[in-house]
Amino acid sequence: MSAARFATQKRTQPGIHWRRIMVTIFNHSILILFTVIIVYPVLWMILASFKTPGELISNIWGLPADPAYQNYADAWEKAKLGRALLNSGIVSIGAVLVVVCLSSIAGYAFAKFSFRFSTVILLVMVFTMQAPVPIIPFYVLFVRLKLTDSYLGLILAIASGTIPLAIFIFQAFFRSIPGELREAAKIDGCSEFAAFLRVVMPISGPAVATVSILTFVGAWNEYFMPLLLIRSDELRPLTLTIQVFFLQFGRAEWNVIFATLSIATIPIIIVYVFLQRWFIRGLTSGSIKG
Amino acid sequence: MPVTSRPLSSPAKGLARRISKLAPYLWVLPALTVYGIFKLYPLVSGLQMSLLRWDGIEEPRYIGLRNFEKILSDPMTGTVLMNNVHYAVGTVVGKIVLSLLLAILLHQALKGRTFYRTSLFMPVVMSFVVVGVLWSWLFNPQFGLINSFLRGLGLEFLVQDWLGDAAVALNSLILVDIWKWYGFHMVIFLAGLQSIPDELYEAARIDGASVWQQFRHVTLPMLQPVMIVNVTISVMGAFNVFDIPFIMTAGGPANATNVMALHIYIRGFKFYRFGFSAALSYVLLVIVTLVAAIQLRLMTSGDNTD
Repeated sequence: MSAARFATQKRTQPGIHWRRIMVTIFNHSILILFTVIIVYPVLWMILASFKTPGELISNIWGLPADPAYQNYADAWEKAKLGRALLNSGIVSIGAVLVVVCLSSIAGYAFAKFSFRFSTVILLVMVFTMQAPVPIIPFYVLFVRLKLTDSYLGLILAIASGTIPLAIFIFQAFFRSIPGELREAAKIDGCSEFAAFLRVVMPISGPAVATVSILTFVGAWNEYFMPLLLIRSDELRPLTLTIQVFFLQFGRAEWNVIFATLSIATIPIIIVYVFLQRWFIRGLTSGSIKG
Repeated sequence: MPVTSRPLSSPAKGLARRISKLAPYLWVLPALTVYGIFKLYPLVSGLQMSLLRWDGIEEPRYIGLRNFEKILSDPMTGTVLMNNVHYAVGTVVGKIVLSLLLAILLHQALKGRTFYRTSLFMPVVMSFVVVGVLWSWLFNPQFGLINSFLRGLGLEFLVQDWLGDAAVALNSLILVDIWKWYGFHMVIFLAGLQSIPDELYEAARIDGASVWQQFRHVTLPMLQPVMIVNVTISVMGAFNVFDIPFIMTAGGPANATNVMALHIYIRGFKFYRFGFSAALSYVLLVIVTLVAAIQLRLMTSGDNTD
């Protein structure tokens, strides 16, 4: 028994023990520091959205003395946030539908069929997907197709940017599905497309979720496309609405601005916290293989 | 006469085969049509527009390469390009160093790893508009959080007009960009670290390698693939950056934060010089392509000398 005690004492030499504790403390302090740098501004924004204009100047660091819920009512009304949320929702869901439908079908063909030019097509996409689009011809194209100032135009503009990455994600996923499944469905009399719809798609939840999150977050946060393509107030999505509101009232009513920013941010952060694994996988997919 | 089990006569079978050969194209057609029209077509059709003097309203006039000549002789081009290079160096170095450091810390067996990772990744899901507007206030010289914090610590000499001072503004935007994105690069580095086999570290330790030597000779070489991904994404992001400078400074003060994408937008949609703006887009496209090619060359050639 004393030998066993001696053995454990020998293993945990005081020097090594202390060193490990110091390293752990060091690690935690750096991580806590950066967590605070990241989280505090967002937390501060939410607190500031309950302050009065006077408090924003006199009480920078403290809690709001008497929460000004009125800020949220003002933000909702003055910035027409209801309409903006609706527009962002329509465009984001529309973009998800377009990207998931078109890219899953194309990704399946690239994964399972061999046809001429398939490699060439994929290479063209790899080399052009990151290229900055010249905005003048892009804008003129939308004007000529009468797609400016419309949900459809905005959806297509956003979807076209995401389609290549989505195709690569679907292709990688479908490659991992055993071919027997497709063969079995075809023997049962299914056409190739029916086999894809009824057998392959139902087990493709992970790929669909990844692409959906990637597209939804991108579309929800998209600012440049609506700036370029949307003219009328009624069609403005959330991002553009906030920017316009900021330009109109920013210098005077910062507390209302913070309420606007909070309304735009809190829902997506809540969803993110609950689905964080999926969000992180979705938003970094394409950069990390497999 | 042999009984054939063929259900179709041979010409019909030939037709069926031809159709089944065409079938894959039908599968990829819808996606490629959208990509072709909205991404590839503007890349090509803009070439012709870059040869025009055109305000978008009146009849365009063909002027050959005059727009490109003007770009080369315009002193603005150099200013904007240098700003963009400055922006790229600042954001890329900042993002890579910070995200690698934090990924290494998160890779240790630590309590609260998930909490840290979730928090550090959070700005990635936020909109640039929200981030930009929020930081314009945090940078406010009188009442902003940053200066208030510095005054509280007695660091008065660091207090400045973060967005209003031409010497500082671009670096302030770089800070915001790093804040928004380093969590993204951190997660990619983390995935890379997790794929390094433990045996390599054990072997290094047996050989008596110090922690720094392990980092230098095991971690860094093994991270090369994810390093290429991270550097490429952040360089591309830096040369495409628009939202942050447009929302926070609109390129000012005195063009101190004007970058290529913003310059292209302002020439096109504030001054209605469509042809000039289109030509600028191709200058940017060539620069981005060159930078990507050089960088891929450098980063993959390092592989061969090892």
